[in-house]
Amino acid sequence: MTIALDYDYAKPATLAQARKLMAKHKAPRVLAGGTDLVPWLIDGMVEPDILVDIKGIASLGRIRVKGDVVTLGALVTFNDLLESKVIAKRAPMLQDMASKVASTGVRNRATVLGNLCSAVPCCDAGPSLTVFDAQIQLSGPDGDRVVPLDDWFTGPRQTVRKPAEIATAISFTLPPKGSGAAWIKLGRYKGEDLAQASVAVLVKPGNVCKVAFGSVAPRPVRGVKIEQLLDGRPLTDDLIAEAVKLLPECISPITDVRSTREYRMQTMEVMLERGLKAAAARAAGRGPKYGTALI
Amino acid sequence: MKKTITMNLNGDLRSVEVEPGDILLDVLRTRLGIKSPKIGCEKGDCGACTILLNGKVVRSCLILAIEVDGQEVTTVEGIGRNGATRLQKAFVEQNSFQCGFCAPGVVLAATALLDKNPKPSESEVKEALAGNLCRCTGYGPIIDAVMSVAKEN
Amino acid sequence: MANYKYVGKDAVRIDGMDKVSGAAVYVDDMDFGPNLLHAEIVESPHAHALIKKVDISEAMKVPGVVKVVTGEDYPFTFGLYMQDRFIFARDRVRFVGEQVAAVIARDSKTAKRAAKLVRVDYEELPDVLDLEGALKKDSVLLHPDLDKYSRCPWFFPRKGTNIAHWRKTRKGDIEEGFAEADEILEDTYTVPRYAHCAIEPHVIVGLYDMAGRLTLWSSSQSPFTQRHVFAEALAPLGLTHKDIRVITPYVGGGFGGKAGVSMEIIGCALAMAVRGQPVKVRLTRAQEFYNTYQRQGVIAKIRLGCKKDGTITALEHTLHWDAGAYVEYGANVVNAVGLSATGPYRVPHVKIDSICTYTNLPPGGPYRGFGYSEFHFGLESHMTRMAKKLGMDPVAFRKKNAIAEGDTNGYGSKMNPGDIQKAIDEVAKAVEWGKKEESADPDKKIGKGLALFWKAPAMPPNASSAAFLKFNEDGSINIAVSGMEIGQGYLTVMAQVAAEVLAVPPERIRVETPDTDRNAYEWQTVGSHVTWSCGNAVRKAAEDAKQKIFDTIHRGCGLPVDSLYLEDEHVKSRADASFAMPFKNFVINGIMTQDGTWRGGPIVGSGMFMPEFTSATGDPETSQGGHPCVHYTVGAAAVKLEIDQRTGKMRVLKTALAVDAGQAINPSLVRGQLTGGLLQGLATVLYEDMRYSRKGKLLNPNFTDYKIPTAEDVPDEIIPIIIETPQPDGPFGARGVGEHTMIPAAPMVADAVEDALGLRIKTMPLTAEKVALAARGIDFGSLKTDSIGFCFMGSDPADYDFKSRDSAATE
Repeated sequence: MTIALDYDYAKPATLAQARKLMAKHKAPRVLAGGTDLVPWLIDGMVEPDILVDIKGIASLGRIRVKGDVVTLGALVTFNDLLESKVIAKRAPMLQDMASKVASTGVRNRATVLGNLCSAVPCCDAGPSLTVFDAQIQLSGPDGDRVVPLDDWFTGPRQTVRKPAEIATAISFTLPPKGSGAAWIKLGRYKGEDLAQASVAVLVKPGNVCKVAFGSVAPRPVRGVKIEQLLDGRPLTDDLIAEAVKLLPECISPITDVRSTREYRMQTMEVMLERGLKAAAARAAGRGPKYGTALI
Repeated sequence: MKKTITMNLNGDLRSVEVEPGDILLDVLRTRLGIKSPKIGCEKGDCGACTILLNGKVVRSCLILAIEVDGQEVTTVEGIGRNGATRLQKAFVEQNSFQCGFCAPGVVLAATALLDKNPKPSESEVKEALAGNLCRCTGYGPIIDAVMSVAKEN
Repeated sequence: MANYKYVGKDAVRIDGMDKVSGAAVYVDDMDFGPNLLHAEIVESPHAHALIKKVDISEAMKVPGVVKVVTGEDYPFTFGLYMQDRFIFARDRVRFVGEQVAAVIARDSKTAKRAAKLVRVDYEELPDVLDLEGALKKDSVLLHPDLDKYSRCPWFFPRKGTNIAHWRKTRKGDIEEGFAEADEILEDTYTVPRYAHCAIEPHVIVGLYDMAGRLTLWSSSQSPFTQRHVFAEALAPLGLTHKDIRVITPYVGGGFGGKAGVSMEIIGCALAMAVRGQPVKVRLTRAQEFYNTYQRQGVIAKIRLGCKKDGTITALEHTLHWDAGAYVEYGANVVNAVGLSATGPYRVPHVKIDSICTYTNLPPGGPYRGFGYSEFHFGLESHMTRMAKKLGMDPVAFRKKNAIAEGDTNGYGSKMNPGDIQKAIDEVAKAVEWGKKEESADPDKKIGKGLALFWKAPAMPPNASSAAFLKFNEDGSINIAVSGMEIGQGYLTVMAQVAAEVLAVPPERIRVETPDTDRNAYEWQTVGSHVTWSCGNAVRKAAEDAKQKIFDTIHRGCGLPVDSLYLEDEHVKSRADASFAMPFKNFVINGIMTQDGTWRGGPIVGSGMFMPEFTSATGDPETSQGGHPCVHYTVGAAAVKLEIDQRTGKMRVLKTALAVDAGQAINPSLVRGQLTGGLLQGLATVLYEDMRYSRKGKLLNPNFTDYKIPTAEDVPDEIIPIIIETPQPDGPFGARGVGEHTMIPAAPMVADAVEDALGLRIKTMPLTAEKVALAARGIDFGSLKTDSIGFCFMGSDPADYDFKSRDSAATE
């Protein structure tokens, strides 16, 4: 439990100060929840010269709602999502997702945006926010920019964020009334686990379907071909079966210590089917309550 | 770099000089004499190092000491200051623990749950304790004791 | 049944408040002051290599480094039953993670930095990572000097092979047994390695003081055995038993992993290297996985013969164990199974071969169940399959063949009392055996399984216990024993035993954790034997104190000894109903007589216990003639399992376990062993699995990928059932139950999966993944790749013939 590396630490009170610190150092690292970063420091996997603790920047800690647009600041934790009334009412699928991220002691610190910045292929925030067409806001020495989540991940543990940039928020438009969604995470057991595979489904009025997957590709991926197939069509059993057939064109799972490629692939068929059915049923005002385990 | 931080630790203001690489769990145990949070896995998986930070359950192995400057840290040493709580008594009466190494973390996780949700369902209890690994008990006697307190609430 | 006041009651644990208040002190909680040094271990990155050179010069230059210790500093071997290890690897390393050197520094940060600067040059050797590779005629030998190692007399290594021990048990005529059989069933089962996963990692602090005493504060199940192993290993440095002291405060879980000596030898050696300063070695969680002990893997070939009416005629059971790089303790696991692998059955013709093989994986060793969980998986699976082959109900088949008191076991001893028939009936009833159940969900199927178990403590024939007991001024009691409170409730049970004899409530009795200087001797806290063995010693110590009490009262008050009895902390007399002397009035200061003089003095008692009917002198070729096991505890368990056949996800709807505890000294604690052990057993079959790379590196040395159950992964319902057929030589009739409760879990789940889906899975674990793949006709084993890791078995073990082993071994 020892960090052998020496580095500096700063806790700026404003984003401008944080930006300046990031620009000034060779190997800066943003510290928010720290639940990934601290073990990486212990294991010597990262070697920062400074940690810029952004927890002093009050504005980054809020869930803001403007019209139908929700913005989660960089300090919003998974448990903040679980406690948010607007998320409970308008995007309860994100609470299903958040409730299965690690355990409550981690969720009180781990941030949603930090999960996206760590960018492991099994990150739960990735696929679940992809179906909401979320966008990440970055602030850096060359100014601010916005990156759609679709373009965010570039590979395992890799994103388009530049070393001196700070991811400040993620925002998305709340789905209209009459939408339904589902989150299914395959783990080795019911308790805390990283996803062996995951799928997020959002069905909006007019049978507009959004589908994204986790742990079945080098990065979270959108099921583009499946979305195109389903677009606007009623979700019949036959159509769902057709969608399931497209899985090999959308995902490319590998075998690793958590699961074989074969199990990921065959179980994803069940997960996609159950996810689509549950989301459609919820959109229609029936279906299993949010929070019900679908696997 | 070194920095002196001050925290409210179990009701007392405590100051200690730390480096940015010092982990809160280690500082609590070796520099501040607070031994109830245990070292189990050092990466947030087991929950033996659970503490309450500003009233919330967190893993002290995943937090740098320098981060808690000016904040409130509570451990089992703090919650029993006025005698054992009802929950602690229930755990004792029902022989809930065996080796006891996970017990401080479980006590805090269950205390935080009951503070927030005095009448949790059994599945809520299981969910709240799912981050605290116990290899001895099979969890049954722990869950039963929490439920017995919840029933009286 | 006897009517006891304190025995058989649900007493509250005497360590309960210590543990929920944070007051309980574990080794890592102890303070040693600013002089405490910290160590970082330099580990082998190779599974098998020669050490060409160790260069510590750069590490020594780091300010704050006190010393760097290497194998050259300690050319001594050690081991519990066989001295096959050096303290630090010397000429060669034999597994990934083995200690090659250690850096001792003022603080852990300095130690960690300096450890990276120790340069070790290796010359890689061909490695032996699976049994097939280990048992070829021309296999690379891990221990070319195997036959020269000092060892206990009941181990039989094969010179010039990787076979460290081969236990043979032969009874009757095996060929005749199969000739009598109407049906013969033969198959192979495999069990991978497992990790104990006590939540407290191993930790030891050692201080070799300027006066020449070596004190170790050790998180251990075996303080006296540790002292003995340390004394043997350090004898060349002039240390003897009296110079060494081992102190063990509370231990944060053991499960066998803290028995014997594993990493503790490092702390011991480092303390010797920095005289006058305490030094701490605490393993990381990863090291906890790969450099303590692991439960050994096994390939078990079973051939079973039965008559049409279900009578078992013959059992041939061949078990090949992947024992790892060193077998100083693990070989005794192999030995125990070689004696008892008939399981709890009456088998007239028996042939058991239990073979302990070195591999370049971490050392195998004791794990709750001591090999019995491993062999029960295959054996109990096989029993069900044989029953079905005969067209019999698996429960009826078991009831017909289950061992009973007085039956002769595999090595020729008589079976002790124990009501396995009742256990079977109770658990069968609990899960409504025979009633087919259907789920409302078409994706889900429900299956049931039932398995029997037995287990004896595996110990040297003369393993013993002793106890000291003393009264305090207020009539309370301190007991100084050296069994270890590893969670099972041992302290409380010892208090209850003394309470019953001395009529003092358990809450007025303190039972101290071990200190080899002060407490009485105990062999080890393993084998589910301390309630029985140390319980007997405590009972005798209490009886000893009782006699002294009677003597004091007799001489102080003139009452006849045979009229005296104890009740509610008083001495009373049948000769004088008005006489009631409170203990506190005399147990320290005695009794004043009429002339003003005093009789008596501080009441103390001592007791010792050793089984005097056991021996390890059986014939090496048959195991007949000795009496290696003291007794077996028997029982049965059953499960009702719901399976989502599309995802493989399993949910334990109900499970029941019945164990014959002889006499439950504290039923609440016995139920605790049932609930906890059953979940640990279920975890080995449903979730846990150690995975190695093709280079012998453990791929999942963490709780992220080695999944032990959380509070959300418990059965919906557990029914603990205690049966009590007294053990004649047990304290108040008690026998042990600690390990037994995890033994039947794996086979009963495998049976339930077959019952639900018609799939027989013969390799542990039965993860959701394996079951779901099997449901689609895919064998999980066939998908193994470098990235998933492998266990130890080499090519498909079912196809694997051991002929090459036989020829190698017999030459």
